[in-house]
Amino acid sequence: MNSTPHISAPRISPPAKSVGSCATYVFAVCRSDHPASPSDAHGHAGGGPLRLLTVGSLCAVVQDVPATEFSETALRERLGDAAELERCARAHHGVVTATTADGPAVPMPLATLYLGDERARAAIEENQESFRLALDRITGRAEWAVKVYLTQSATTARSVAPDIRQTPAPGPGTGPRPVSGRAYLDRLRSRQNLREQHRESAVAAAERVDRAVRELAVAMVPRRPHGPEVTGKDRTQIMNMAYLIAEDRNEELAATIGRLRASPDFDGIEIDVTGPWAPYSFTDGGDLAGHS
Amino acid sequence: MSELDSWTTDSRSHPPATANLAEILERVLDKGIVIAGDIKIDLLDIELLTIRLRLFISSVETAKKAGIDWWETDPALSSRAAHDALYEENQRLRERIDALEGDDSPEPDSIRRAGGRRELRR
Repeated sequence: MNSTPHISAPRISPPAKSVGSCATYVFAVCRSDHPASPSDAHGHAGGGPLRLLTVGSLCAVVQDVPATEFSETALRERLGDAAELERCARAHHGVVTATTADGPAVPMPLATLYLGDERARAAIEENQESFRLALDRITGRAEWAVKVYLTQSATTARSVAPDIRQTPAPGPGTGPRPVSGRAYLDRLRSRQNLREQHRESAVAAAERVDRAVRELAVAMVPRRPHGPEVTGKDRTQIMNMAYLIAEDRNEELAATIGRLRASPDFDGIEIDVTGPWAPYSFTDGGDLAGHS
Repeated sequence: MSELDSWTTDSRSHPPATANLAEILERVLDKGIVIAGDIKIDLLDIELLTIRLRLFISSVETAKKAGIDWWETDPALSSRAAHDALYEENQRLRERIDALEGDDSPEPDSIRRAGGRRELRR
């Protein structure tokens, strides 16, 4: 590789370490000409100010954090606590988002930690080729999350309506009406067919969304659909995808989603789009052959 | 969805900074480019944390009432536990679909595992 010795590189003066030692927390890696000044973000509570660590043609957005709070044991404990996990995740995400707003940056996973700047620098240097590739891949592009839901209203509306037609609800006080065997079987069959249709159409809808968005994307990553704890009780998430899309295609994406939503086939189907995200899902070795 | 409306009128108006926690977590916990850190958190553990958080969001009140506090007493994030959690999550998703459809027949894998291209394509 073309790794250059850094003996002559300007050293960032080490932060004042008054009490206890610090660890170097890495949020994101960008090109050294990145105009980064992630002033909108503060990083982790209890840590020092955000700063840039230059590593050859790359630079990292880092923060000094108290080693005791970010030790393996301490982290395990803290991240096991939901409130603390949320705080850490949002702090991390805030810095990453602020950095990518200024220019292309490769987000690092939560809790990427080194015992000091030299260790962080060495690790980045060792992987500089991957970082350069990743930066090339994500430059001028952003990640969009597209989720497709099947809603409860769709389920009930579609499966109930025909039943009402075939066997009208009994009037008050009349009790259950006797139903002929044939009518009963017909009703069962039609309900079965509706269910089948319903399922098929939900999957088909998700496929259509995926196909349409794929046309605009250079890469995509399927994610595990969220459970009802996240989606709410009245809808089922049937697709959760991340797409890497050129920034100048945002409007096409909006138009595409708008068209799909307006389509009568999407009655009872929700399409949820969020973005632009920092390209979290598209940093690793990734192939751009999302289309194939 | 109001968030969708705002998004369609201004394609950049949905700042992920305020996005829902599950979305943030699945991203910040993504392994991305793996550069070995000095302080290591096992990826499996982290994956499990996400699942636990999902459970946590809805069940903390109920669980507390029932005196269940697994998130405090079970820090041993074993892969076995991760497997179980995944299995449970799967089960719940299936039950959810059942409930939504008033179904009593087994589901095709396509919906249960939907999300991946392969599954959707069948």
